[in-house]
Amino acid sequence: MMRVKFWGVRGSIPCPGGHTAKYGGNTSCIEIRFDDVGRQIIIDAGSGLRELGNFMMGHDLPKGPISTSIYLSHTHWDHIMGFPFFTPIYLPSTRIEVFGPVSHESDTLETIVGGQMTYRYFPVRQAELAATISYANLKEGRFDLGDGITLTTKYLNHPILCLGYRFEYQGKVFCTAYDTEPYQNLFCTDSDSTEYDEGMALEGEVVAREQNEALESFVAGADLLVYDAQYTQGEYIPGKVGWGHSSMEFAIAVARRRQVKRLALFHHEPVRTDGEFDELAAIYAQTGDGDGPEIFFAREGGEIIL
Amino acid sequence: MESSDHLTHVIQAYIDRMPSLSTTVNKVLEVCNSPKTSANDLNRVISLDPVLTGHVLKLINSAYYSLPNQVSSLARAIIMLGLNTVKNLALSTAVIGALGKKSCFTALSMDAFWAHSICVGVTAKALAAANNVAGSERDEYFVAGMLHDLGKIPLNKCFAAEYAQALQLAALEQGSLLRSEQLLVGIDHGMAGRLIGEKWRLAPSIVDSLAFHHAPEQAPADSRTLVATVALANLYANIYEIGSAGDTFPEAPFLMSILEMMDLKWTDLAPLHAIVRMELDKAQVFLKLTE
Repeated sequence: MMRVKFWGVRGSIPCPGGHTAKYGGNTSCIEIRFDDVGRQIIIDAGSGLRELGNFMMGHDLPKGPISTSIYLSHTHWDHIMGFPFFTPIYLPSTRIEVFGPVSHESDTLETIVGGQMTYRYFPVRQAELAATISYANLKEGRFDLGDGITLTTKYLNHPILCLGYRFEYQGKVFCTAYDTEPYQNLFCTDSDSTEYDEGMALEGEVVAREQNEALESFVAGADLLVYDAQYTQGEYIPGKVGWGHSSMEFAIAVARRRQVKRLALFHHEPVRTDGEFDELAAIYAQTGDGDGPEIFFAREGGEIIL
Repeated sequence: MESSDHLTHVIQAYIDRMPSLSTTVNKVLEVCNSPKTSANDLNRVISLDPVLTGHVLKLINSAYYSLPNQVSSLARAIIMLGLNTVKNLALSTAVIGALGKKSCFTALSMDAFWAHSICVGVTAKALAAANNVAGSERDEYFVAGMLHDLGKIPLNKCFAAEYAQALQLAALEQGSLLRSEQLLVGIDHGMAGRLIGEKWRLAPSIVDSLAFHHAPEQAPADSRTLVATVALANLYANIYEIGSAGDTFPEAPFLMSILEMMDLKWTDLAPLHAIVRMELDKAQVFLKLTE
């Protein structure tokens, strides 16, 4: 059994307040508990990680030292900002492994995540943390995490290197694919333009199609898929193409095409209010009783058992 | 003459810090630093520099990204990894190039080498089109043509005196540069090209075209068409003297055997002239080069 809990569901920046209390204002953080083997995995260290840390201090620490793994989808700020506020890092008994993708030309993962903890930005330096923290650069691949847990990773389409995660355990599949948007042919396709190059244009088409196909195969058949749905299609097309996020309509179409059982629309636009979500839910949410997946907007505090 | 192990070692040590051609470095910096760069511009500016193209493909195919399939075209890399990642790869590589400057071209003229490389790339691509190779695969022909003479760069840099003699000997004998390289340096640019291709983990077809463009019949069957196309494009560039990479006297029997392999006549190549000139002019305008 996997227990998946949402501690932060927003994109871009935390947005607390009366208008976001129902769906939540914290940025990305998802917890998976494998109770049968006593393992916990955290995906992303957005601002939601603070609440999770506080919960772990009360719930896990009395049973023994905290040991956990954090898998970062990427290192944009909304996905790492919760790390300095994750209380277990201040306990000498805590052991944390941090995994995530880093581009070739970038600093190390440790420098990027720990770089938030310099006196310029924060009162405690990375070097002063009491916990034992290790960092490892993660790439595309398939990994045996032990205890019967298998992880497959896949590069997504975002302005920096970003990974989707697919966990398989006891025959169930939990998959994340955010921050991402449909791959497109980035090359000029207007044959009248001076920029046009037939070879580039044709190859661009082929590669974009192949990459979309590969990403869809990656999420196929998931029991729970958490997919980027920051925008509506109406918002995406006129001004948000290339920003690295998908529309709700696209996420739903992928889930339907690939026989996903439950789809959590995720990485919500920060300006979206609870009232607007309720209106969108009336259009897009589905119970999953009939054909097709159950579809819902991820809510902070929501828990799903697989 | 030094032992071939030693020669290989000297060249391998040089390969990883092999500089870009400064012919293109300023433009690379300009294009990659601009937030408004289009995918077309990015692809074009990288592909105009054989060393940079090789470096970028090397990084993309490296364990760093551990992609499941080898990437042999920049267009593919740009869509898979995104504009920013490829821009940054190019920038970080071009900086090495900026340090290299023209000093790495002691015996060969860098601008002439660059023009020769472009000509072979463009010609290989045009030949592929004429042979009905699918549009999406033609970029690989361009890359293979563009990179075919990379092996000359470390030879020219690491063994400057011997290489100058090899060039003179080939000119004096009106013969093959490959043979002079073997005689006077002890290693030829096909062998050095293979070392680069393997060290940079370029796609096998690209490595084959670096290694076998003077003997396409020895290339593995999978890549023989590509290698023969590059070989023919190379002869074309040399015969029409578009740019120069030191191979001034192609051997007639070799030309005939390649034409036969490709099932072409020399006259079939005449229509390429306009395309090649146009592409070369476009590249020069793009780089804002002055002759």
